[in-house]
Amino acid sequence: MTAEATNIPAPKRRSLYQLDARTRRRNASETRFRAYGVAAIAFGMIALAVLLWSILGQGLSAFTQTRIAMDVTLDAAVLDKSGKRDPVELAKATTLAYGKILDQALVKQATDKGLMPEGLSAKDAAGILSKEAPAQLRRMVLDNPALIGTTVQIEALANGRIDGLLKGRVTMESAKLDSNVSPAQLVLAQNLKDAGLLAKSFNFDFITAPDASEVRPEAAGLGVAILGSLYMMMIVLVLALPIGVAASIYLEEFAAKNWFTDLIEVNIANLAAVPSIVYGILGLAVFINFAGMPQSSPLVGGLVLTLMTLPTIIIATRASLKAVPPSIKDAALGIGASKTQTVFHHVLPLAMPGIMTGTIIGMAHALGETAPLLLIGMVAFVRDYPAAPPEGFLDPAAALPVQVYNFTRRADPAFLERASGAIIVLLVFLALMNVAAILLRRKFERRW
Amino acid sequence: MAQHILSAFDRDLESIQAMVVKMGGLVEAQLVDAAHALDTRDEELADSVRKRDKAVDALEEQINEEAARLIALRAPAASDLRVALSVIKIAGNLERVGDYSKNMAKRTKVLLQMPTINGSTGAMRRMAQAVEGMLKDAIDSYIQRDDKLAADVRARDIEIDQMYNALFREFLTYMLEDPRNITACMHLHFIAKNIERMGDLATSIAEQVIYLVTGEIPDDERPKSDSVTLANHPEV
Amino acid sequence: MNDMRLMERVVDDTRIKISAKDVQVWYGDSHAIKDVNIDILDKTVTAFIGPSGCGKSTFLRTLNRMNDTIPICRVEGEILLDGENIYDRKVDPVQLRARVGMVFQKPNPFPKSIYDNVAYGPRIHGLTRNKAELDEVVESALKKAALWKEVKDRLTAPGTGLSGGQQQRLCIARAVATSPEVLLMDEPCSALDPIATAQVEELIDELRENFSVVIVTHSMQQAARVSQKTAFFHMGNLVEYGDTTQIFTKPSDPRTESYITGRIG
Repeated sequence: MTAEATNIPAPKRRSLYQLDARTRRRNASETRFRAYGVAAIAFGMIALAVLLWSILGQGLSAFTQTRIAMDVTLDAAVLDKSGKRDPVELAKATTLAYGKILDQALVKQATDKGLMPEGLSAKDAAGILSKEAPAQLRRMVLDNPALIGTTVQIEALANGRIDGLLKGRVTMESAKLDSNVSPAQLVLAQNLKDAGLLAKSFNFDFITAPDASEVRPEAAGLGVAILGSLYMMMIVLVLALPIGVAASIYLEEFAAKNWFTDLIEVNIANLAAVPSIVYGILGLAVFINFAGMPQSSPLVGGLVLTLMTLPTIIIATRASLKAVPPSIKDAALGIGASKTQTVFHHVLPLAMPGIMTGTIIGMAHALGETAPLLLIGMVAFVRDYPAAPPEGFLDPAAALPVQVYNFTRRADPAFLERASGAIIVLLVFLALMNVAAILLRRKFERRW
Repeated sequence: MAQHILSAFDRDLESIQAMVVKMGGLVEAQLVDAAHALDTRDEELADSVRKRDKAVDALEEQINEEAARLIALRAPAASDLRVALSVIKIAGNLERVGDYSKNMAKRTKVLLQMPTINGSTGAMRRMAQAVEGMLKDAIDSYIQRDDKLAADVRARDIEIDQMYNALFREFLTYMLEDPRNITACMHLHFIAKNIERMGDLATSIAEQVIYLVTGEIPDDERPKSDSVTLANHPEV
Repeated sequence: MNDMRLMERVVDDTRIKISAKDVQVWYGDSHAIKDVNIDILDKTVTAFIGPSGCGKSTFLRTLNRMNDTIPICRVEGEILLDGENIYDRKVDPVQLRARVGMVFQKPNPFPKSIYDNVAYGPRIHGLTRNKAELDEVVESALKKAALWKEVKDRLTAPGTGLSGGQQQRLCIARAVATSPEVLLMDEPCSALDPIATAQVEELIDELRENFSVVIVTHSMQQAARVSQKTAFFHMGNLVEYGDTTQIFTKPSDPRTESYITGRIG
């Protein structure tokens, strides 16, 4: 064929040192695309940074708590009228009695040191103590009756408002409008602080203590919620992992490929997309109403979360089973391994990192899940620690995300700090699980 | 050289070269016996030379088949390829030497019926011995991959040519002296020519050895001294 | 001298190891193997050659029922191993594969130690009674695979850390360790460089002493180099089957001639 026969002009030869217009356009579009990518990532990073900054900014203060140091004389006449140190008798002394002792001790200390501002009544002065402080003192005494009659140095919890003063949440101006605290109380607190008797310290109670009532934000802790979440995770792990892995192996390696397995496959994918609240309703209807399991129990919560996690685990497991090179399966079959031997000796170990990552991601998801737990009653106010497993699985408990939800519902602004603190704890647990996932992956991942 | 990873390839190469060496030995013996039979007028030996030619021919065929198989199955390259190619040519040359030996034996039997031509036998014997030496050295140079020895063989061909020229004049003289000598002298002349050709074939083998070792066929003119033919028969 | 050479090439055609009779293979509706009849000899390397998609790999896989793993694959006809039909209802493919081992295209060692790779077969088949016997089996298999010298000091190193050629020889050792009678090789050198290929080919030539070896290869030269018998497949048919020398010097079927001289795809 001659050159004339075609209408395509022969390409002009140009120097390689000169970029032609087409190349420039292509380079420009590549540069633009890179810029979009960088922008998208930057947006994500900024969003994450803002989120972390706001949560840490609000929540980190929950890990410190204001306490008032004082000497308390535990008057035997008040606390142990029988004088026998009999626990039953001792228990009869109520927090009211302890409250009085504390109040007196505080006022005495303030007066002695001349820290009492003018015009502040003794009753109001005592108001800077937390309502939880007497209960703590009582627990201390009941644990160690020998203290009765002695003078002990204690650090009593300060009121939430006083705590707020130290954390910058409460000011003289806000106190004037606040029925719960008076400027004079703040002056007393300021005086005590200047005298070194009132200070913030690390708040272990936030992690270990149970929830507290609406009027005692300073005493509220996450102990029950953490325990409840832990119990539920144990149930999820014990149930979801074996069931999910067994189902995946059967579907992936053994089941015949027909319309029925296709249907199951589609349904598993659908289950993964079902809103979590639907699982809550299911749990309420089946586990509580039909099976009669106790409300608010980690068992029911764990079961619901198991149902929710199963599709995730199955999908992740099947994906990692699929990712095992068929050459390994061929190799095993080729030297006469049976199907089961092939799966358990070769396929499963190779899929293990993927399975574990999927499981941990699924569990992390379950750990952060709130909606279904609300429906099965885990939103209840629980102050008693659940017992050790397995009985504890049936005791009422809270869960971390639900605790966040509970804190945010409460009126006192001190609970906002608590909620953010709880979110930090939750995030730390999630981060730990992800780190575990990465470490396990590293450890078990093998080249092939 | 180092062995091939595929040891069967080495075995193939070795066996085909062993066949060539064996063929070389057979052909050398043919030449020696043919010359001896002529020298001693030994009819029995001449018969034996004629009969043994079949074995030489068969061996050549076998070598060719093996070489074809080697090329088809092993796809030899470089020195291996030169082995395969040179083996075919050397076998062909040896087969021709065998044929000339057989022809010598045949003519020896005819010469036995005739009176002897005095004076030529010594020159014939020396020429045959020289060619035997060349053939032996050519085969040795092949076995030892010795291109110097091969070049030496190639250089010696000129002596054979000179011997042949001398014999040619001698036979011409005999025939001029007495026409009754013509038949015998013609046979003797053909024998001399055969021996001279065998020298050429030995030279050709030596050239194959040079090709095998160096990868290049010597392209300078082979030393020639065939002036008689050209001088006396310019029309040829 | 050349007697030794010829001895080596002599094929003992009295001893038939595998005999295929009117074998048909379907993948769904497509007829992949048509009327194949072939007698594969013991202690012989048989090469299957042919263009891509000619069915040579498919046929190889029918010989140890590896195609069982493909649901749509259907086999008709008889394949006799020492006179027993391997497609008989009573035959368990797992038991069959212990006797008819397979080596694959891509070196596929298990991600375990070299030792465990080789020991796996003997372990699952219960071929040894104790550790000492297992050690012995592993050593002898590695020796048969010409790998022992290279790995004897690092048996606990992962098999995946070896070079490609060593990996493939490890796979051969793994197949050899279960003492099969037949070794099927599906393009065992296609992923290897020429030196590793030559090493594996040399190994195949040595394995012939103990096993019947069937090798599928895309490389005609490889078939020529390693095999004593060659079968040429084309479009699912067995076109020609004979001594390798004959196939490569004077094939009787024009299709074989065209293929080995590079005239059809």
